Formats: sequence, C-alpha cells, structure tokens
Amino acid sequence: MSDAPSPRRAALRGTRELAQAISSIERGGARAEELIEEALAHLGRSGAPATRVIGVTGPPGAGKSTLIGALADLARAEGRRVAILAVDPTSALSGGALLGDRVRLEERPDDDGRFMRSIATRGSGRSLSHAAAAASLLIEAAGFDLLFIETVGAGQADLGIVRLADLILLVEGPEGGDEVQAMKAGLLESADVVVVNKGDRPGADRAVERLRSGLALGEGAPEVLLVSATEGSGVEALLRALDAAALPAGRSGRVRRVAAHLASAVEARAAERLRTADADGRLDSLARAIADGGRPLRGAVDELLKG
Amino acid sequence: MSERSAPIRVLIAKPGLDGHDRGAKVLARGLRDEGFEVIYTGIRRTTEAIIAAAIEEDVDVVGCSILSGAHATLLPKVVAGLRDAGASDVLVVAGGIIPEEDRAGLQAAGIAAVFGPGSTIAEIASYLRANVRRA
Repeated sequence: MSDAPSPRRAALRGTRELAQAISSIERGGARAEELIEEALAHLGRSGAPATRVIGVTGPPGAGKSTLIGALADLARAEGRRVAILAVDPTSALSGGALLGDRVRLEERPDDDGRFMRSIATRGSGRSLSHAAAAASLLIEAAGFDLLFIETVGAGQADLGIVRLADLILLVEGPEGGDEVQAMKAGLLESADVVVVNKGDRPGADRAVERLRSGLALGEGAPEVLLVSATEGSGVEALLRALDAAALPAGRSGRVRRVAAHLASAVEARAAERLRTADADGRLDSLARAIADGGRPLRGAVDELLKG
Repeated sequence: MSERSAPIRVLIAKPGLDGHDRGAKVLARGLRDEGFEVIYTGIRRTTEAIIAAAIEEDVDVVGCSILSGAHATLLPKVVAGLRDAGASDVLVVAGGIIPEEDRAGLQAAGIAAVFGPGSTIAEIASYLRANVRRA
C-alpha cells in the first residue's frame, strides 16, 4: 500500500473523526458537551440545509434494518448523503450488547456518502440511547441529508424517538396491525407514515386494510403503504412519502434535537441518582422510614434526586 | 457531568468465503455476556468492508473468524487497512482454524493474538480487557 494521500484514505479518516466523536458523546462528560456546542456553532455558521431525521420503529422482525438499507441505497443513487443510527438493547445483567443490524445491511465500503453506526441503549433502560439526540446533531454538522434512527422496536411506548425525530416511520410485518392494536395509543398515533413490509408474503394486503380501517377512525391519519424491502417494490413510493411528509410546525429540527438531548440528560441524571441511592441503601432506609410512619412521604422524591 | 466508563467495543467479522459462522456467533454472544458491546457483521465480508465497519463503529477490537485457510492473505490486509485509516490502535485478533506454523507470520504482520479451537470465552475476554489500547 502506498503512502500517497488518496481520497479514499482521507474519506476514511473523516469517517473516523465522526465515529470517535459519537463515542465521546456516548461517554458523556465535558468533552461531549464541547462536541455538541462545536456542532451547533458549525451549523449556525454554515447555513447548510437541515438533516431530515426519520425515526424508524416497529416490532422486532418487521424488517426495519433491511428496509432502511433499501431506502438508503435509493437516496444515495439520488446523490443524497445518508446516515443510519441503529439502536440495540444493552443487557441489564452484563452491561454488554449484541449489535446485529449490520448483518442486514449491504456493506458499501467505498461509499463515503453513507455512514452507519450501531449504538447500544447503555444506561437508558429505554428503546433509545441517551446519546441519540446529540449524535444526530454531530451527524447533521457532518453534512448528511437524511438520518434514519432505528429504535429497539419495543413498539408501544417508544416515545423518546418522537421527541427527537422529524418524522416517524412505523414498520409492521404482514401479520401486524389488528384493528384494536391500531386504535391503541402509543407509537401508531405518532406515526407519520406506516408501512407493511414483506408485501410479497400472503396476507400483507389484508394487514394494510386492517391498519387503514383502524387508523381511519382518528383525525390526520397517516398514510399506510405496502412495501417489500427485499424485492424493492414500493420503496421508491415510500421514500417519496417521507420526502413529502410535512415537518412538525414550530420549533426547528435543531431546537428539537437540543431539547431531546436535554431531556435525555435529565433522565440519565435521575436514573444515576436512583441507582446510587439504591446501591448505598438510602432508597431502602427512606422507604422503611416512610412505611413505619417515621417520616412523611412529602419531600422524599426531592431528597433522592438531590443525590 | 462526568464521563461514564464505556464498554469495550468489538467487531466480529467473517472475512472471505467460508459461510460457517457458528463459532463467530457463539463468541459474539459470549462476549456480550462478558459485558462487551459486540458488533456482528455477518458472513462473507471483504477486508475493505471489515475495515470500513471497524472505523464507522469505532471499535477497540476487530476479531476475525476464519475457517477457509485464507488467513495469511486476508488478516494482514485488515491490519494494513486500519493503519492506513489512522486506526492502528485497533487490536486485531483472529480465531478459527489457523495452523500453528502460520501464527508467527501473522503476529509479525500485526495480528495481536490467535485463538484456536478450545479457547474459552473467559480467556478471550480477559485477554481483550488486558490488551485493548484505548486513546
């Protein structure tokens, strides 16, 4: 291998810088705050068009990763720069995680217009990592046009992504979406676009009907589309629907990303305080005192949050 | 807010043409249970794809599982590619079927360790904890 600077090498080094910055964000602390402020300052100066952030959620096995790969390929063919953040759960027992979303993604090693990063939920105990909002800002500052964030797929109560993303894409499998499920509160009511994936399988068109009739009872019902990520059918119509979907009114995406980051940081802090109080026995002794009538309940939560 | 300690990140890769990934999957799962964040790439990856994935995922370790006999060609390419991308601090280790007589050559090419059949997960985990080079 020669030592002459090549565009390929420069691209890989640029990618490494972004990848290492995301790791710093995951570790938190002063360096993470600096990186977020640098990204915001850069975005303020550059006046670059905003990144469209699409949260992708839905039950495990619905084909979210494969569908994101197909959407990314299509957007790349149109010359847009595409980033993917794929979130998988951290084991509460070991603190480790198995991040398997690359298995479903064609590798494109020569394409520096696509960036894919797997992140574990770590301490969040939710379907999103605490680092997701800040990582989105870094990706925006790196000049990506589209960002897909794939959540763990807990389905119903996956609301952190709603705060962060510009649009929510809900992916269902061909068995998904019976009418009662469709009426339940939760992600379905936050979805901007709903797709039934694996449209080549029997029953998929009936799933579309079920979702449409369930959703039609509400106001401003999202579109329901049929796609097959593996065969490629419907993917272009889906990308067009995501491009055309109206962004939330009011605050800009950037402001919402910062708000989502602050909300995550508060949750992280509170969770940390609770873990400490649990570990050093303060939670238990406080509970004992309240249960015995030795102290009032009032003020106990504030005391735990104070740390 | 202070920095949180981060789990060690490991890319488990299957370079080359053999499609037997049972060992790689057992290792991926075992390291998860040892507290590592494990990124599994799937089978039949090119060395270029492995290097790009290692950079994007900012891993501390690339573990290549190889049963095809192509280790002497493929593994040094991974090491060289990482170095070229400015990531020479990433530890490259190998597992699978690698003859004893090939090991010295691999180590000279920058492969930090070779784990053959019979290596335990605990052994691999403690090797990685002791040898990861973190910035």
